[in-house]
Amino acid sequence: MLTKVLSAAHFGLEATPIEVEVNVFKKGFPGFSIIGLPNKSIEEAKERVKTALINSGIEFPNLKIIVNLAPADIPKEGSLYDLPIAIGILTSMELVKQPEEKSFFYGELSLDGGLRHTKGVFLLALAAKSLGIKNLFVPKDSANEASVIAGINVYPVSSLSELIGFLNGVSEIKKLSHTVHGSLSTGYEAVEFDFSEIIGQESAKRAMTIAAAGGHNIFMQGPPGAGKTMLARATAGILPSLNEEESLEVTKIYSLTGNIPPGEGLITQRPFRTAHHTTSRIGLIGGGSDPHPGEISLSHNGVLFLDEFPEFPRATLEALRQPLEDGKVSITRIAGSVTFPSSFMLIAASNPCPCGYLGDPKKECKCTPRMIMKYQAKLSGPLMDRIDLHINVPAVDIEKLIAGSEKRIGKTQNSKQIRDQVIKARETQNKRFKGLKIYTNANMKNKHIGKFCDIDKRSLLLLKQAVNTYNLSARTYFRLIKVSQTIADLSPERSRRILPNHVAEALQYRIRTNG
Amino acid sequence: MAKKFNRKVGKEGEEIAAKFLSGKGYKILERNYYTRFGEIDLIVLKNNILTFVEVKLKHGEDFGTPEEMIGTSKLSQVQRMAEFYLMDKPKMAEIYKTYSLDAVCIMMGEDGEVGRISHYENLTF
Repeated sequence: MLTKVLSAAHFGLEATPIEVEVNVFKKGFPGFSIIGLPNKSIEEAKERVKTALINSGIEFPNLKIIVNLAPADIPKEGSLYDLPIAIGILTSMELVKQPEEKSFFYGELSLDGGLRHTKGVFLLALAAKSLGIKNLFVPKDSANEASVIAGINVYPVSSLSELIGFLNGVSEIKKLSHTVHGSLSTGYEAVEFDFSEIIGQESAKRAMTIAAAGGHNIFMQGPPGAGKTMLARATAGILPSLNEEESLEVTKIYSLTGNIPPGEGLITQRPFRTAHHTTSRIGLIGGGSDPHPGEISLSHNGVLFLDEFPEFPRATLEALRQPLEDGKVSITRIAGSVTFPSSFMLIAASNPCPCGYLGDPKKECKCTPRMIMKYQAKLSGPLMDRIDLHINVPAVDIEKLIAGSEKRIGKTQNSKQIRDQVIKARETQNKRFKGLKIYTNANMKNKHIGKFCDIDKRSLLLLKQAVNTYNLSARTYFRLIKVSQTIADLSPERSRRILPNHVAEALQYRIRTNG
Repeated sequence: MAKKFNRKVGKEGEEIAAKFLSGKGYKILERNYYTRFGEIDLIVLKNNILTFVEVKLKHGEDFGTPEEMIGTSKLSQVQRMAEFYLMDKPKMAEIYKTYSLDAVCIMMGEDGEVGRISHYENLTF
């Protein structure tokens, strides 16, 4: 008998419905074959389904079974077809009845007949909603991802035998109720470093605050041991939680890559990712014959920290240019073209020269001018032009270090205080860009600058002078306005208007001083 | 030791299968056609179609069904042997233009009697 079970395949961030057709023949040489461009992990589904059925107390039929994954021209991968195949076989054997309403079956089977956490359930729920499919049978560990979407019935299935009982009307599976996105105050998460632990570097901390508030890219330069890495890692603690739309975007990507831990649903904590300089270009940007998101997409709406920036291969760094500008990356392969969002805030850290002490007041730099040139030439003009804030992180004075930790407490702001400022600034921005799908000042396009930024005459004059004096590019000009806007948003008087002192501060982070 | 036992089981299966197929109206041409490249368990004839039969016999289902033991590699081996047989006997090849590959699977019961016998015709792989 022929049965059809609905499931879905993923390509990029889109889920396409797949019909799993199962025919159990009455005649013919017994065997089990799967067709419809399956890859190795689906080929192995045969053994999983067979064993899971036997361990659920069902005799596997000694008959010819053919499974077709339609449409047959889309390559399919992953272990998610285990459950639909098993249900198809059971329906064909007339051991279960499929629900009358259209339903998605999705999930990987364990050999004992249980269902395992499977990636992509959130995307499946989105597809179900847009296609008008009512019921979703997904593994219990992944069901919370689906319950984020309203208007669909999500059944968390823990084992095959439980599902058989439910479909036959013998036992009950409780539908998950729709969970709502929590408010912005998910509390302060524990991070490695607190800003109050970092001694000195007040100007760097201020720049970091501006960067975090407006989502601006920041570049730190300084000798080894000055605290660049510490500053970057402490930034994870001053980032506000994701708002609802941001949260949905991030959850999409994390669901696709299987980065959502079992039992969890929406991702509300802002991503903070680091990539080592040996990361491949594809690992950073995304790609593969079946395109997968890279680190820049995994840090969408969050922070990507690249330490030892000039050590990255040139080609890798230059590949960052387009995503940094557009906030998304299009990956084209033979299988098709996929666009992943990649609107991230870049934190880059570097030494000024190979030995690290160029411009240090106490230690001598041992590099030859040629070495320094070669080192700095790794960071191309177009790339650096896309970074809004350039700061120097000088070595900390030993006197200050020893000066006693007690004295510092209360004087310097801790991460929580800074975070509150950042959250307020971000709230202002969220209000400003309501309904525009942009969340930060850094994401503004030029047309938005004209619409939202209110620059007074003196500020404009100052900007004009700076552009003329330093020969700044048009992009730099617009980026300066964006940073000025963030500084205005951060200011205690919350002036929406960009004033000369805001522009002056923004300019200070812009002019690169070497040596 | 194990090899000897295998051959005994093979012989037993062939006899049961031959008897079963004669009952169905097949004419037995060869039993255990053997060359140094391999063997064919049974070569039979019915309705003018030459049929090469692979016989599988199993005692008890603990290690799976006999059907599971016949995979694509086994079938291609039988086909290769069938081609070899026709090369060996050009006259047969002239008379019978097509041939079919069949399998007979026998499950033995615990009492030493035949529990189940299934004949699968015209296999493809």
